[in-house]
Amino acid sequence: MLMRIAWRNVWRNKGRSGVVIGAMIVGIWALAFGGGFMRSFLLSYIQSSIRFETSNGQIHHPEFTIDQDIKFTINDQESILAHLRNQKSIENICSRSIVNGMIASSRQATGVRIVGIDPIEESHVTQLDSLVFDGEYFSSNTSNTLLIGERLAEKLKVKVKSKVVLTFQDVNGNITAGRFRVAGILHAASIVINESSAYVRKEDINRLLGIEGYVHEIAYTTVEGTDDQALADQLKNDFPSEKTESWEELSPALVFMQQMMGATLKILIVIIMTALAFGIVNTMLMAVLERIRELGVLMALGMRRTRVFLMIMIETLLLSVAGGPLGLAAGYITIFYLGKRGIDLTEYSAGLEAIGYESILYPSLNLNDYIQIGIGVVLTAMLASLYPAWKATRYNPAEAIHSL
Amino acid sequence: MATLIKATQVSKIYHKTVVPVHALNKVDLSIEEGEFTAIVGPSGCGKTTLLNILGGLDHPTSGKVEITGIDITNMKDSDLIDFRLQNIGFVFQAYNLIPVLTAVENVEFIMLLQRKDKKERIARAYELLEKMSMLDKADNRPGELSGGQQQRVAVARALASKPRFILADEPTANLDSASTANLLDLMAQINKEQKATFVFSTHDQRVMDKAKRLVTLLDGSIVSDITR
Ligand SMILES: Nc1ncnc2c1ncn2[C@@H]1O[C@H](COP(=O)(O)OP(=O)(O)O)[C@@H](O)[C@H]1O
Ligand SMILES: [Mg+2]
Repeated sequence: MLMRIAWRNVWRNKGRSGVVIGAMIVGIWALAFGGGFMRSFLLSYIQSSIRFETSNGQIHHPEFTIDQDIKFTINDQESILAHLRNQKSIENICSRSIVNGMIASSRQATGVRIVGIDPIEESHVTQLDSLVFDGEYFSSNTSNTLLIGERLAEKLKVKVKSKVVLTFQDVNGNITAGRFRVAGILHAASIVINESSAYVRKEDINRLLGIEGYVHEIAYTTVEGTDDQALADQLKNDFPSEKTESWEELSPALVFMQQMMGATLKILIVIIMTALAFGIVNTMLMAVLERIRELGVLMALGMRRTRVFLMIMIETLLLSVAGGPLGLAAGYITIFYLGKRGIDLTEYSAGLEAIGYESILYPSLNLNDYIQIGIGVVLTAMLASLYPAWKATRYNPAEAIHSL
Repeated sequence: MATLIKATQVSKIYHKTVVPVHALNKVDLSIEEGEFTAIVGPSGCGKTTLLNILGGLDHPTSGKVEITGIDITNMKDSDLIDFRLQNIGFVFQAYNLIPVLTAVENVEFIMLLQRKDKKERIARAYELLEKMSMLDKADNRPGELSGGQQQRVAVARALASKPRFILADEPTANLDSASTANLLDLMAQINKEQKATFVFSTHDQRVMDKAKRLVTLLDGSIVSDITR
């Protein structure tokens, strides 16, 4: 009967109940959308950073990470590579030699990071081949070809098949130069790839540098679900003379960003929940004040205060039970739809790509998130109605009956 | 006959205003089983205050109220709620009923609070509605009933809990004369047939005429007490 009274009271003032249910729907929806959006923002950023830049982890000569001098090559790379290949959680491995130098076309010259790669390995690890939008990816057997980013090509005013000269110091400190032909132009969200990198074959650059058979960097990708940090920690032990770093260590900015997003989401949650709580306190309090007389009659007749309290709580619960699933459904539909279609940020992508974002985001939330949001909102609603419910029990029946 | 209600030297002073209001002054009153008593007097003389105190809805400032020998004067509020539920039936001036419940549910409700089982509740609710000539409106909500009909449902509800007595504070104040006569006749009939004790307040002469005992209040004191 308490249930029946509460249920009918919910229907008694449809407008007011509608407002509470609506507020819950909007609150849940906003949380789901905000959470999904931020998560995809972050995931997309981290994923593209891992995929195109850091990979899941890298190994260097300890000094190389401080001073990128070409003499700091990795010791005993063969046994390291062999060990990495034996790791079940490691999927692909590539090694690179890296030197900073100059790149010059017939018109322009600029500083560049020259990365010597094995085209096949590299395509497995960073899918560098997928970034080629003009020309080709080292497929011909001709030596001394390179790939450069779109922006760098513009700056140098070169096209596919143009010739460029790379200049750098070799292992003995002598200035060396090599003529290369542009095989392909890369289009990447990453500013590093786009503006200041040149990819060449490892053999070509090593020959010029005089460090044949050596590399400066080993990068690896891991199978899905791997704890990258734990793996890196284990590899640190396995190769004490080298420096192994996980992607989190390689780009602390990502970790910071992750924390910031987490904090922002928490703030968002607090704001939405607070707004919701105030809305509910308000409307339920109104529902109580409107019914002082009726509550007085109930208590005069012999309804215990605990039951009066319960009645108001049940009313809120019923509202939550209506609003909760509707809000979750609205959130789910939005996330599902946008997760399929993507949120096109092209309009803002000039700015976003500059800091390395993909311009289309695919929001996602897992079941756990939905459950947490749902429970959170219902709980907030119940907490918010504690005060109105308590207030309802505070009336003196004799006075309440005579109030209008 | 046994004494149901015994009020001894009951005073009530309201301190809400700057000047304290002496609503009741050392009232002595006892009500026997089976009475059909009207508390009468002009507006503001203390009728509501007296009924509230007799019904355990309010505490006297001084004095003592015993119901069937039990002193309720210093009972805790939470105990009083249960005490009222088991012993006292209430009819208020107006808007007595729970608006979201139908007539029969309103009557059933009080028995539900008493944890009576469903079969008994329903049987008794319909029986009482029939007695109050409200059977045809059993499934209507209070909003769909006239003032007189609402009060008849309220009386049915007051009877439903099988109370020791029924307190009705100006039950006819909002009714036209036909409904007033009808309600009073039904109450009188139940009083006669079932020996149900009624104590009601009124300032309506036609209602007073139906009472068997007339207690007149003036400025918080009983000035006359006539049994016919
Ligand atoms: N809750 C209250 N607070 C202050 N004064 C009250 C209160 N209830 C009643 N009174 C005062 O007590 C006196 C008696 O009131 P009441 O018992 O309602 O009289 P009646 O029911 O006979 O009209 C009146 O003067 C009224 O103003
Ligand atoms: Mg009164």
